[in-house]
Amino acid sequence: MKTATRNLTIALAAAAALAGCAKEEKTSYGDARGVETLTNTFGSTDLQMIAESMARSMQQAPAIHSGNLPIVTVQEVRNKTSEYIETRAITDSIRSELQKGGRVRFAVDAVGMQQQTEELNRQQDSGLYAKPSAVEKGQMVGAQYRMEGNITSIVKQVKDKKDVYYKFNLQLWNIRNGLLEWSDEKEIRKTTSKG
Amino acid sequence: MKHSWTIAAMLPVLFAACATPKGFEQPGFAFGCPIGEAKVSSMDDLVKLKTTMEGKRTTIMATEMRCAKTGDLMKIDANLNNDSSTVKRIAYKFRWIDREGMRAADEETWKPVMLYENSNLVINTVSPSNKAVDFRLVLRSQE
Repeated sequence: MKTATRNLTIALAAAAALAGCAKEEKTSYGDARGVETLTNTFGSTDLQMIAESMARSMQQAPAIHSGNLPIVTVQEVRNKTSEYIETRAITDSIRSELQKGGRVRFAVDAVGMQQQTEELNRQQDSGLYAKPSAVEKGQMVGAQYRMEGNITSIVKQVKDKKDVYYKFNLQLWNIRNGLLEWSDEKEIRKTTSKG
Repeated sequence: MKHSWTIAAMLPVLFAACATPKGFEQPGFAFGCPIGEAKVSSMDDLVKLKTTMEGKRTTIMATEMRCAKTGDLMKIDANLNNDSSTVKRIAYKFRWIDREGMRAADEETWKPVMLYENSNLVINTVSPSNKAVDFRLVLRSQE
């Protein structure tokens, strides 16, 4: 009995000691637009800088600038880097920036096409909607331009020093004649050294 | 005699040209940049008016700023100077203001840049939309 009590005391003391050692978790909100330098992999600052720079540059392209709200569709940004990058997040941000600028309209892209056709079919073929309010098929507007790009990187590491160079290239192609209407690049270099 | 009259007639024209560094500037603008009612008689005045520091202060200073219209958007070039003998790292962003003096666009992302010792770096941007008619350049240290 005495041994059992002693064991229990030891166990309680150990648990209390471990609880004391555990670091207290603290959560706070930060600046979503602040400079993030936790690691040198592709981060939020890179994404935001690329989106802002590309959108501002594209707004000055003659095809956009002098056009009457040209219609653009977003195609893929190919990730040619060695790391996983959600390139859709970059094109989404570019699209938002351009949309806010009020110079471009966006047509549904390949990614959103399935949802678009499903909704059209639901309204027209399900028999659930009143005919006058259901949208007609065959009224979608085709894009005049398509936006596509690449992101590439060069990574070099020597001992404790790592250098990452990103190059993001975006192009605006005229769908009718296949001409490249605009293209721009954004380069980012990040270096990390230990110690 | 005829020659000296010609020179005398040309001198005031030349002086007049030198006296207006801003050239043919429209009222409310200096070096192409919107200044509203503020008095701006030099590049230093313009830079002081348009630049602010937030957060950790930096010794990097904007020394020149020029604006131009590109269609209905505003294009800005700003020269940043590092006159120290060490490399400096800062972040900058532009803040856009509309006709009513309110924010014309969402807060921009801080853009980190590196300036070599004793060097200049020209940063440039274009307004996000034609609603933005004025701006401030915001700087902070990244060290």
